[in-house]
Amino acid sequence: MMKKPRISSLYLILVFIILYTPIFYLIYYSFNAGGNMNNFTGFTWEHYRTLFSDQRILVIVLDTLLIALLSSLVATIVGTFGALGISGHKKAATRSTLLTLNNVLMVSPDVIIGASFLILFTSLGIGLGFGSVLVSHIAFSIPIVVLMVLPKVNELDPALLNAAQDLGASKAQTFWRVIIPYITPGILSGFFMAFTYSLDDFAVTFFVTGNGFTTLSVEIYSRARQGISLEINALSAVMFIFALLLVVGYYFVNQYSRSRRQRQKRHEQAEVTLR
Amino acid sequence: MATPIIELKGITKQYDDGFVALTNINLTIEQGKFYSLLGPSGSGKTTILRIIAGFTNATQGQVLFNGKLINELPPNQRKVNTVFQNYALFPHLDVFDNVAFGLTLQKRPKKEIKRRVLDALKLVQLPGYANREISELSGGQQQRVAIARAIVNEPAVLLLDEPLSALDMKLRQDMQYELRELQQRLGITFIFVTHDQEEALAMSDEIFVMDNGKVLQSGTPVDIYDEPINHFVANFIGESNILPGKMLADYQVEFVGKSFECADGGMRANEAVEVVLRPEDLDITTADQGKLVVKVDTQLFRGDHFEIIGIDADGNEWLIHSTNPVRDGKEIGLTFEPEDIHVMRFGEKEADFDARLEQYEED
Repeated sequence: MMKKPRISSLYLILVFIILYTPIFYLIYYSFNAGGNMNNFTGFTWEHYRTLFSDQRILVIVLDTLLIALLSSLVATIVGTFGALGISGHKKAATRSTLLTLNNVLMVSPDVIIGASFLILFTSLGIGLGFGSVLVSHIAFSIPIVVLMVLPKVNELDPALLNAAQDLGASKAQTFWRVIIPYITPGILSGFFMAFTYSLDDFAVTFFVTGNGFTTLSVEIYSRARQGISLEINALSAVMFIFALLLVVGYYFVNQYSRSRRQRQKRHEQAEVTLR
Repeated sequence: MATPIIELKGITKQYDDGFVALTNINLTIEQGKFYSLLGPSGSGKTTILRIIAGFTNATQGQVLFNGKLINELPPNQRKVNTVFQNYALFPHLDVFDNVAFGLTLQKRPKKEIKRRVLDALKLVQLPGYANREISELSGGQQQRVAIARAIVNEPAVLLLDEPLSALDMKLRQDMQYELRELQQRLGITFIFVTHDQEEALAMSDEIFVMDNGKVLQSGTPVDIYDEPINHFVANFIGESNILPGKMLADYQVEFVGKSFECADGGMRANEAVEVVLRPEDLDITTADQGKLVVKVDTQLFRGDHFEIIGIDADGNEWLIHSTNPVRDGKEIGLTFEPEDIHVMRFGEKEADFDARLEQYEED
């Protein structure tokens, strides 16, 4: 009886070790004074100093974050309405066709999407740069958002919409007060998915960056081709910590808003009973 | 007679796939009464509710509210509120905000909202539940919140779509009392949809019995129970012994080969009819004193009464309710009064039925 959980937890630990070792290996050598990843000769902050004095990489980091933020915001709005539109269709056949068209974009290789965007932009005579990257990121993020929001929309009991109307809500009020709050968890996870997809996209971005504008993944790739620099390691470490903070922050924001809501309610109630 | 608050005139509802849910429904709903739409599932009772609430449109016919045509009025502008079958409470809002939903939309002052919501919660016996999340409530409590959310808006008519069907037996009976009491206290018209005849009989001022998209009979619970219009109603409302018979003359009916005195008339001589005898109207006596003689076949103890099935010489089954047990296999006599016999004509329309009853039962 006791053995089974032990084996399963052992397995879990093993999987996590395999998943996290490369990252910690990378971070470990970001402090290496030796200048390569073969043997650790001594501790240094030098690589971090070079990183933070590297104007070019800082601009690229900011650009990457900006692209991720903007593209995921736009994709979230478009994708949410897309999901609502898909589930709003009366015919089941239309619904599943639309969903399939959406999923095709999800599964088709990034290389194909990147190449097709490159052809599109050049044939339309649109210059490559910030705009082209943003547009293509929005485009590949929309299906992700649709896929994250759709289950929540389908879960929505039509009786809730009837109830809202019954209590005097107009179409718009029903939308903002019932539909949106109900599907917000789906919208949020869609946003975060789109954000991370945009942050680490390489293949599509590689095709449409052009000269002068680049994102982090493309920059790291081109630097890695020229030989290993531990500045990349330092950058990776910083990014990893950043991601970790995001996850922890998201958790605490969730906890906080929930407990605050409870507190606020209790406060209101106390006020009422006092009166 | 007060002016009707809601009138349905010639309502027919046909769905896109050709299914006809309602055929020529005519209802008159008066202010301040408790109505039930009673019928088996699929009889169209919920469709009537949805047409009154405005969630769906009638294919034909008129919906009148205080004499005004409201066929095209969207649900959010109608002075009716609904308690849904699955309650349809908003899961992202707590109890207070659920109940306050309608008032918030009306942009009432905060103080007034707070007062009215707390009053409504008190009315449904959930004071102190304002801060609870919906997921923390039991089925019965959710039910009460759903009722509070509807009545807090002070609707002219409250529509209830099988609101008690998800509750257990004991709670359901308690809620029947509470609903009835609430309705009388508020003076709001209730239209209650149910497939449970006991529920309808217990609470209603007036019942509409429905089947297959038609209203078969309407009347007070007592009228419908005592004078069902046809086989379906007699069977659906309560338990009954239904036998083929023949109307010999006014106040004289023949069944199981014997002639009995009865209280019905107004039919052709020798017209084929159906006779209803309620199981609780049959009294057990000795075999030689009985108007009928049956042999006890089975007997079930139901707590407050014994349910006895007897078989007569012709093989007809008789259902008898008795407070005292009898011995299995024993021959017993059954007696009943002339007014316990209810005679039903085949295919009689409700209007004709009512007219005939009035004529022959006054004296």
